[in-house]
Amino acid sequence: MSREPLLEVTNLVKTFGGFRALDGVTFTLHKGEIMGLVGPNGSGKTTCINVISGLYKPDSGNLRFLGKTIAGQAPHKMARLGINRTFQVPKPFRELTVAENILVVHATNKHTEIGDPLEFVGLKNVAHRKAGSLTSGQQKLLDLARALASGPSLLLIDELAAGLSPSELDDVAEKLLTLATRGISLLVVEHLLGFVNQLTQRVIVMNAGKEIFEGDLASAAKDERVVEVYLGR
Amino acid sequence: MLFTLISGILIGIFYGLMGLGLNFIFGVMKIVNLAHGDFVMLGAFGVYLAYSVWNLNPLIALGIELVIFLAIGIPLYYGFVPRLLKSRDPEMLSLILFFGLSQVIESLASFAFGTNPDTVNPTVFGSQPVNIFGQSIQMSWIVAVLISLLAMAFMYGYLYHTKIGIATRAIMGHRTEAMSSGINVHRVSAIAFAIGIALAITAGSMTPFVLGGIYPSMGVDLTTTSFAVIVIGSLGNPLGTILGGLIYGICLMLMQTYLPSWSSLVPYLLLILILLFRPSGLLGRRERNA
Amino acid sequence: MRKRMLANVLIILLLFLLFAVGPSIYQNQSLIFQMMVFMALAQGVNILYGFTGYLPFGYVGFFGIGAYGAAIAVNLLHVPALVAVILGGFSALLAGLVLSPLLRLSGAYFSIGSLAASEILYNVVSNDSLQPITGGPYGVNLAGIFDEQTSYVVMLLLLVLATAFVTYLRSSRFGMSLIAIREDPVSAEMAGIHVVRTRVFVWLATAVLAGLVGATYAWHISVFYPNTVFDLSVSIFAIVFTLFGGGTTVLGPVVGTILLYGLYNAIGISSPQYFQLIYGVLIMALVLFLPNGLMSLLTRRGIYVP
Ligand SMILES: Nc1ncnc2c1ncn2[C@@H]1O[C@H](COP(=O)(O)OP(=O)(O)OP(=O)(O)O)[C@@H](O)[C@H]1O
Ligand SMILES: [Mg+2]
Repeated sequence: MSREPLLEVTNLVKTFGGFRALDGVTFTLHKGEIMGLVGPNGSGKTTCINVISGLYKPDSGNLRFLGKTIAGQAPHKMARLGINRTFQVPKPFRELTVAENILVVHATNKHTEIGDPLEFVGLKNVAHRKAGSLTSGQQKLLDLARALASGPSLLLIDELAAGLSPSELDDVAEKLLTLATRGISLLVVEHLLGFVNQLTQRVIVMNAGKEIFEGDLASAAKDERVVEVYLGR
Repeated sequence: MLFTLISGILIGIFYGLMGLGLNFIFGVMKIVNLAHGDFVMLGAFGVYLAYSVWNLNPLIALGIELVIFLAIGIPLYYGFVPRLLKSRDPEMLSLILFFGLSQVIESLASFAFGTNPDTVNPTVFGSQPVNIFGQSIQMSWIVAVLISLLAMAFMYGYLYHTKIGIATRAIMGHRTEAMSSGINVHRVSAIAFAIGIALAITAGSMTPFVLGGIYPSMGVDLTTTSFAVIVIGSLGNPLGTILGGLIYGICLMLMQTYLPSWSSLVPYLLLILILLFRPSGLLGRRERNA
Repeated sequence: MRKRMLANVLIILLLFLLFAVGPSIYQNQSLIFQMMVFMALAQGVNILYGFTGYLPFGYVGFFGIGAYGAAIAVNLLHVPALVAVILGGFSALLAGLVLSPLLRLSGAYFSIGSLAASEILYNVVSNDSLQPITGGPYGVNLAGIFDEQTSYVVMLLLLVLATAFVTYLRSSRFGMSLIAIREDPVSAEMAGIHVVRTRVFVWLATAVLAGLVGATYAWHISVFYPNTVFDLSVSIFAIVFTLFGGGTTVLGPVVGTILLYGLYNAIGISSPQYFQLIYGVLIMALVLFLPNGLMSLLTRRGIYVP
């Protein structure tokens, strides 16, 4: 695997009216790499994804993507640059059909080729249903398919596992691994450590907007501060 | 200048009352009662009717009106709102539904009262003006302001010191959570709806004394004015409404004194400016979107 | 797909024929003209509300500005009628640009904001102190360019153009991305759609449409007052016609306008209160029992409606 950096996050800060939701986050993600981002509720994981995908402008800090500074760009620009994401609560275009949900995606620069995204996530059989009529599990997959349709080289995944059955989980984990082998880098926000374990050993643990640990999953479980954050609640 | 300020504050308190009912209903069920101004109009005509036909004191008339409209409000809620809330776009459809209702009310009122302005003798509360900081103010204004303050005090007591009022605040914060915590959302909302209309009626009963001539088609303007007031304060926030009323009242009086030919622009200008520069109102918070 | 294209072309052709031969079958040309005016405005509302979810209570503001833009162009700049119509559309474009920050608002905020904006335009235009330019409350007289026939034809062309634009939205990826923005602007951004630019484009397009329609209307009736062309009920009618037929379709506003405007004239404008009552009841029934319009009776059964 190449060790070329894809995304470099330095000292990212995001505040909401004085409250520091992100308080100096720094990490680097390489091409084709999967990184887990874990932490208790409200620790700033979603905010981190929101900033990287352009939904929020950071207060300070830097974002470099393929060596270029991108902090503060509009989300549609990020999408066209090759950064896409799923949402913790899936947000499909409810009145459009599943197929149309994919059709509206701008895929101007396909960075990665994964074929038909609906085929890939296994929603081909419901392609003509309205997206609003899908189960929430299917909506999550549709979110993933839509993100893939833009041909991203970086995919930010926000709690895909919550609400999926164990067998679906294994299936999804396998798909994410496939994506990584095709060269897509993944930042996976997750509560279920078991699920993360299936994907990668490299994790960042966040608490109250700060990184408290970076390294491999096994030693995270032994780290004092991590244990405190997880058991101290 | 002092007179302008004082009358601005007094009329502002009255406008606060006028916005209160609209804001309360929006806060609780996220629907826009575009017939709000027409209920204000009905309240005004109730007083007019009671005074000119039975020579009844407006305050007694108001008491009777409140009983009637609280009783009308409940079935009105159950007839329209639950159905509306189930639809795809309740907020938008409520605009249209209540616009329809406002047309019905306006037309019925035109049948009943004709389309020409009517007035109620402003001296029913005594013809002696009251002296405030050396400025003489009509007695009827003072009554209107007192009624407004009373209604606001009632709302405060209701929301913060009764069980059902606290349940109402729970619904205003998080409707679905309130539902799952066992609150009978429809019952609480129905009462809130009736109170919202009763507040409009209360404001209406004082309209002949504060605004002068009343006519069936005045509803639309009153609704927009109320909307301006509550947007200035911040939608869904009862306290903000009072602030909104004050700002609105003072601006209006200043314009009427110094730029009278443009004063009809005040509600709309304020509304637009606040919407664009402080969309969540002066006391509002921003919402999250992802 | 080919079938749908054919249906679209057919609709536009029929619409054109209907209003082209209309005046020779039914003598009351002014009624037919008004129907076209409302139908074109209803299509404007359809584009804005049906496809992007913005319900413009103040849509009449653009109509009024178009009428006044044209009137001022004729009376002060002495341009020919057609140029005046274009300048009317241009004035609405400018107004739309100035008002484009309204798009930052959503839901009821936008509706009421747009209403306030149109009231401001009305209050400015009708203000006594602007009498030398706008005629103030005393209205405008365009008798010098009066031409019932040509203005009728221009109106017909505008209606056809508006309808054709809706068929384009109905069947193109662009229209689909508008619906995507309406359904979820955040997801739409992530789908790579330039949400702000797209919204502003549609907003301006509908503003220009209403402006051109307003200008042509002014040309056709030639004498009017500020409260005629800034009448709030113009917006409301356009909205109700659209909703009654069904938004996001080509046919909805057409059918809605023909039926309801027909009803309006059947009841008669002579007894406004009576009319207002029936109208109010109708609107309420519509929202409660048919919130997605007549066309939803078909689409609900899986039938495609252009
Ligand atoms: N738009 C916003 N406005 C105000 N506060 C916000 C906003 N977004 C996030 N926050 C706050 O920032 C903190 C971090 O939120 P975030 O959603 O990033 O947490 P999270 O780690 O994703 O939690 P969870 O596991 O519950 O999803 C929380 O306290 C949250 O309330
Ligand atoms: Mg989260």
